[in-house]
Amino acid sequence: MINVSNLTVRLSGRPVINGVSLEAPPGALTAIVGPNGSGKTTTLKAISGELSPSGGTIRINGRDLRGLKPWELASMRGVLPQSTVISFPFTVREVVRLGLAAGANTDPAVHDRIAADALEAVDLAGFAGRFYQELSGGEQQRVQLARVLCQIAEPVIDGEPRYLLLDEPVSSLDIRHQLGIMQLARKFCERGGGVVAVMHDLNLTAMFADHMVMMKAGKVRASGAPREVLTDETMEAVFGCRMRVGVAPAPPVPFVLPQTASL
Amino acid sequence: MPRSEASDRGMGLTTFAAEIRSEWRSGNRARLARLVIIALSAAAIATFIGSIMTGAADASLSNVWYWLIGEADQALSVRDRIIILDIRLPRAVLGMLVGASLAVSGVVMQGLFRNPLADPGLVGVSSGASLGAVLLIVLGTATFGPLFALFGFYALPVAAFFGGLVTTLLLYRIATRGGQTSIATLLLAGIALGALTGAVTGVLVFLADDKQLRDLTFWGLGSLAGANWTKILASAPIILLSLAVTPFLARGLNAITLGEAAAFHMGIPVQRLKNVAIVSVAAATGASVAVSGGIGFVGIVVPHLLRLVIGPDHRYLLPASALLGGTLLILADMIARTIVSPAELPIGIVTAFIGAPFFLWILLRGRSNMGL
Repeated sequence: MINVSNLTVRLSGRPVINGVSLEAPPGALTAIVGPNGSGKTTTLKAISGELSPSGGTIRINGRDLRGLKPWELASMRGVLPQSTVISFPFTVREVVRLGLAAGANTDPAVHDRIAADALEAVDLAGFAGRFYQELSGGEQQRVQLARVLCQIAEPVIDGEPRYLLLDEPVSSLDIRHQLGIMQLARKFCERGGGVVAVMHDLNLTAMFADHMVMMKAGKVRASGAPREVLTDETMEAVFGCRMRVGVAPAPPVPFVLPQTASL
Repeated sequence: MPRSEASDRGMGLTTFAAEIRSEWRSGNRARLARLVIIALSAAAIATFIGSIMTGAADASLSNVWYWLIGEADQALSVRDRIIILDIRLPRAVLGMLVGASLAVSGVVMQGLFRNPLADPGLVGVSSGASLGAVLLIVLGTATFGPLFALFGFYALPVAAFFGGLVTTLLLYRIATRGGQTSIATLLLAGIALGALTGAVTGVLVFLADDKQLRDLTFWGLGSLAGANWTKILASAPIILLSLAVTPFLARGLNAITLGEAAAFHMGIPVQRLKNVAIVSVAAATGASVAVSGGIGFVGIVVPHLLRLVIGPDHRYLLPASALLGGTLLILADMIARTIVSPAELPIGIVTAFIGAPFFLWILLRGRSNMGL
């Protein structure tokens, strides 16, 4: 379980997060949504340990984040940033294997299999020898996810659940890969791990999240199951424009929902 | 029996070359890197021996060998022994040490700043180290008497180390904001700091007497000509210690190529990594500058060439750079002392002639993905 209680974060003196509390249990996908600048990414950065809070506490599996060393954290959670630029000519295989070095598995015999499985999982089998810098943005994002999956290959170790923290994991992907990656996150939850994802696409969130946290201006405005959070009133209050939940546009306008896709 | 052994060795070499070729094609650079390191070790040993055997005087290595194994009756000339043991051997050892130190400092600095153009020579760390050394030479015993008393012949490398450390820390503070290092700021700050240290050095030159002036000229050019065992004794412990630390930085430097945040996510204590890296670069650069002056471009050319072949994985890049850096510097020194024989060129001129065009080539090739 990840517990965030009464979190406050200041960036260059200005409070960006103001008393945020949330829980991300293992076995569930928790999505953080909200308009730009509402503090979603900052909250995730605080949970990852990258930003130190000015107030409140964060616990992972009951242990206070402040008492954990970087390598202890690395064995409990993997983090996918929004985008990653690499200045040296690494191949995809080499980037993915950086995650292995960070993880708990030390047996080189299983390394090859974990790396191959991770690339397969993000639909990049056969990309191992390609240069990272020559891939498209969406492909690079999936390589990074494979790297994180190498670090946290097992959702549960010795009865302790482990977590994936994903910052907009599908924002630069096409619809087929969006669905693929979200299903991957779901499978991780089903096997006992926990996922916290910052999301932009509300339809995908409604489709895959167990729990939704809606933020605005550094505060939690609503939280609960997607069906409870996604209401006309909350949408207007948080995003500042009137819209209707669950209403299809009038006939000549085409619309496509991810829910209708079959993979 | 001896014949078949000889043909086995011949076979071994061709198989080795074939193996390198096949690893290159398969794209598995980890195994390729190990083979390259073996090949570079052999090349380093060969170059080392070659450089002891060549020079303006024709001294015979075999005479010295016979002297070493105690068969001195084999017509040993005392002159040969002095030339080889007291002139060429320390020069080759110093070349190996300084070359390895410059190349490895380049790798560490490039990893730390996440940019293939960051080099201690280029961004002013070497000039900071020179300033430290020049300060000591000119203000000398009058001001720094206690320092001499405390460090003995280590005083010069220690002074250069502090000069390099202060410059590196300043650079890091200037060029890094919020965990992101701007390479444009880094290079420009390097130029500014270089100009500043140059100005201070100018003042010191103005103050210097004739003997000190002669000592000073040497810093600007960079040379292995003054190599002797005292210099090796003064610099080797510092250089070897900083080289010995770097294998422990390899995993962290790999992780930090994805950014400081990602390195932290992967369990690297980032701040400690940066501290150790900065101190080891300053120490290695300082010790090298103290004994051989400013020799440029080794730290850029060597890592860049190796990344093209074995890739940027620091676990292999660090040892391979040490070997190739030492080898290339000894080769450059052989050019420097034979091309205008019996006189000799300062080695800094040779490395600049090779390195500067190479640097421009890197710049033109990779302009787009270096954030310039």
